[in-house]
Amino acid sequence: MSAEYKPEIILEISNLTKRFPGIVANDAISLELYKGEIHALLGENGAGKSTLAECLFGYYQADSGEIRLLDQVIHISSPSDAIDYRIGMVHQHFQLIDTFSSVENIVLGTKSLNIIFNLDEARQRIKALCDQYELSFDINAEIWKLSIGEQQWVEILKALYVGIDLLILDEPTAVLTPQETDKLFSVLKSMKESGLSIIFITHKLREVMAVADRISILRKGKKVATITTSETNPKELARMMVGREVLFRAIKDASFTGEEVLTVNNIWTRNDRGVDALKGVSFSLYRGQILGLAGVTGNGQKELFEVLTGVRKATQGEVILSGENVINFDPYQLMLKGIGYIPEDRLRSGIISDFKVSENLYLGRQRLRPFRKGLFIDESAIQHYSKELVSQFDITTPSVNHLAKNLSGGNQQKVILAREFTQQPKILLAAQPTRGLDVGIVEYVHSQLLMKRKEGMAILLASEELEELFLLSDLIAVIFQGEIQAILDPANTTLEKIGLLMAGVR
Amino acid sequence: MKIAVLKYHIERREHESTLATILSIILAILAALLISALLIRMDGANVLDAYRSLFIGGFGSWRAIFETLNKATPLIFTGLATVVAFRAQIWNIGGEGQFLAGAMAAYLAITLFPKSPNSILIIVILVFALLAGGAIAGISSFIKNRFNVDVIVSTVMINYIIKFALSLMLYTSWRDSSTFYPQSPFIPENSYLPMLVEKYRFHAGFILAVLFAIITFLLVEKTPAGYELRALGFNPIAAKSRGINPKRTLMWILLVSGSLAALGGAVELIGLTHRLRLDISINYGFTGIIVAMLADLNPLGVLVTGILFGGLTNGSFAMQVKTGVPTSIAFAIQAIILLFVLTASILTRYTIRKVEDAH
Repeated sequence: MSAEYKPEIILEISNLTKRFPGIVANDAISLELYKGEIHALLGENGAGKSTLAECLFGYYQADSGEIRLLDQVIHISSPSDAIDYRIGMVHQHFQLIDTFSSVENIVLGTKSLNIIFNLDEARQRIKALCDQYELSFDINAEIWKLSIGEQQWVEILKALYVGIDLLILDEPTAVLTPQETDKLFSVLKSMKESGLSIIFITHKLREVMAVADRISILRKGKKVATITTSETNPKELARMMVGREVLFRAIKDASFTGEEVLTVNNIWTRNDRGVDALKGVSFSLYRGQILGLAGVTGNGQKELFEVLTGVRKATQGEVILSGENVINFDPYQLMLKGIGYIPEDRLRSGIISDFKVSENLYLGRQRLRPFRKGLFIDESAIQHYSKELVSQFDITTPSVNHLAKNLSGGNQQKVILAREFTQQPKILLAAQPTRGLDVGIVEYVHSQLLMKRKEGMAILLASEELEELFLLSDLIAVIFQGEIQAILDPANTTLEKIGLLMAGVR
Repeated sequence: MKIAVLKYHIERREHESTLATILSIILAILAALLISALLIRMDGANVLDAYRSLFIGGFGSWRAIFETLNKATPLIFTGLATVVAFRAQIWNIGGEGQFLAGAMAAYLAITLFPKSPNSILIIVILVFALLAGGAIAGISSFIKNRFNVDVIVSTVMINYIIKFALSLMLYTSWRDSSTFYPQSPFIPENSYLPMLVEKYRFHAGFILAVLFAIITFLLVEKTPAGYELRALGFNPIAAKSRGINPKRTLMWILLVSGSLAALGGAVELIGLTHRLRLDISINYGFTGIIVAMLADLNPLGVLVTGILFGGLTNGSFAMQVKTGVPTSIAFAIQAIILLFVLTASILTRYTIRKVEDAH
C-alpha cells in the first residue's frame, strides 16, 4: 500500500461481543476494513477468529455491538442476509455437492435460478471469472474429480458469482500444498486490485507476512492490535498472538539410530469407498528415530495409520514388529505388542468425551492390572493412577472425575499423550499430534516427542505442517496417492522439494 | 438514538444441576397427570375420584402394594434388558419377543422334566429361559455382524415371529383342550416359584428382579465388560481403535439383554400366571423400554420406575371398578409421562439468560 493511498472504509465493526456458555468468544472487538485490502485475522485456536467471521456472515448473531457497512448500521441475521449485503465466505470445510459439476454447484442456491434450467449463460459468466483471475480447471467436471485446491476455487467462484464486495476466507490454506497456497495468494492479490476486500483467517505467521496488507491479532476473544504488515515481523506477531515470547525451535539432539523395530513392506489397502488407498507402501522405523510423513490430507495417511494400528485390514503386504509379522492383528494385540497411537481426530478416535478423565486414561487396558481387581474395575487404583498422570502431564482439569468433553483441546491431547506414553510403547504412531492446538501446547507436544525419541522410542509422525516435520524428523517420507514418493533427509532438502513431491511431481 | 432492549437468549448449560433434574421429573409427572386429567374428564368421570382410586388401587393397602410389586416384576426385567442394550446404543426393541420366548422355554422345560424337585426344576427353567432369550437376541447380533442388518429392524421383526410361534403352539400341541381359549393347561405345582406372601399371591419373582437389578448395576458400572459396553455406546470409533472389539461386544450385550427379558417371561409364568397364555405379556417388552428411559437407563432406577408403572397398571383396575374409566387409560398416562419427562430432560440442559442489547 502506497503512502498517498487514502483508504475508504467499507466495513466497520464496533464493540462486537459474542458469548457462548462459559466463554466470551468475542469481547468488544472493533475493527475497520478498507476497500481493496487483504486483512488478516491472526490468532491461536479459540482466539475468536472464526466466531467473528461467523457473526459477519450471519451464522451467529452478536450479543452486542454494531456492524456498519458503508456507514449504514446493518443486522445480519442469516447467511442469506450476508449475501444480500454482498458479503461472501469460504468455510474451512467445503460445502459442495460431490456429484454436481462446478457450474451446477455455483449456480445452486443463487436467486437467478429459474424453473427452466439454462446453464449456458452461467457457464459463460463463470468462464469469464476464471479468465479474469487466471484460473484454469474444467468447470464442467464433477466436484469429486477435482483436486482439493480446485474445489477451493469453486467455493471462491461461488462467492464471486453472486457478486460480493467482501470475501471472508476461513483458514483457506489448511488443505493446500505450498504451491497451491502460492497460487491462492496471487489470485487474492489480483482480487484485491479489482477492489474486493478480503478477510483472511489464519494462524500461520508466514502466510500473513506473505499476503496481508494489515493484520488484526486476536487473543482470548479480545483484539490485541491492528498493524500494517510492512511495519511488523513474525516474532512480534507471535508474541502478540501468544502473549509471551515464543521459542520457534525445540532443541533436537543429534540423532542416533538404534536397531530396526518396525518394517513395513509393500502394504496395500482400500479406503471406505473400496478404492486402493495404499499402493505398496514400504519403510522402516528404528529405535530413537522420528520418521516424518508429509502429504496433503487424503493421500493415504489415515489408512496407513489404521492398518498399522489394526483398525483397517490390509489387502496385502507385511508389517514386521520385532521379528514377527503382525499384519492384520487386531488393535488389542497390537497395543499389547507395543504400538502406541495418537490419532488424527482426537474427539472421534482418541477420547471418549462422555467418559471421565480417569476413565479415558486407561481406555484399552480396562482388563489389565492394575486397573482390574478380580471381576471388577479397581476404582481406588485408578484414582491414584489418574491423579499421578494429571499432575505429571500438567493436565488442567478440576478433578480426574470431570468429563473429558469439558477439557480444552490441548488438555484432551495431553490425556491421550499421558495414556500412550505411560504404556512405554516401542513404537508411537502420531497422526497430526499438534493440529488445532495452541502454540504453548504445541511446544509441549514437540518436547515430549523429542524426549521419547531420546529414550529410544521409534516414532512415525504425520503432519500437515511442514515446518513441524523439518523441526522434529530425522527423515521425511512424502506420501502421494497412496505411494511413498521419496524418503529424504531434512538436512539435505528444501520445503519446495517436499511440496512438489506432495503434489506428485517427482 | 439508542434504546436498551432486553433480549432473552437460550443457551446450553455447562453443568446440569441435580436438583433441577429431580425437580423437572416431578414437575413433568405432575404436568402429565394434568394432561391425562383431560382424558379422564372426556370420559365423564370425576378426575379427583379417578386419581384417588388409581393411587389407592396401586399403593393404598398391603394387598395393593404386593400386587403392584407383582406387576412391577416383569417390567423390571424388560427394563433391565433395555438398559443393558441402550447404554451401548444398541437398540434392542425385541424385549417383547424375548419375554415370550422366555415364557415358552420355561414351559418347554416343565414339559420335559415334569417330575423334578422344585428347586432343581426352577433352576432348569431359568437356564432354559436364559438360553432362549440369548438365542433370540443372538440372531439379531449375528445378522448385524455378518450382514449389517439393523438391530432395530431385526429385533422388531423377530417379535412377530415369536408371537406367532406362541400362538401356533397354543392352538396345537400345548393347548388345554378343556377350555375354549388358546392357553396351556396349568403347570404342575413343583414348578412354581415360592410364594412369599401366600395371602396376596406375592411370589419370589420380585426378589429375583431386585437381585438382577443389582447384578446389572454391577455389570454395567463396575466391571471391565461394562466399561467396554459404555465406551461402545459413547464412541464406537475410539473404543475400536483402543482394542475393544465392536462385534464381540455387540454380541454379548445382545445375549445378556435378551436373556434378561426372557427371564422376565419365565418368572411371570412360574410365579404368577401358572399357565401359558397368548396375553401373558401385556406389552411388557415395550413398556420396559419406557421404564428404562424414565430411569435414565440406570439399572437401580429401573426398580423405582418399574414399581411406579406396576402401580399405575394395578391401580387402573381399581379406577375402572370405582369410576368406570377404562384400564387402558393407564397406558395413555404412562406414555404421556414419558413424553413429558423426555422433554423436561432436554429442557434442563438449557438456561435462559437476559442480555442487554443496544440498538
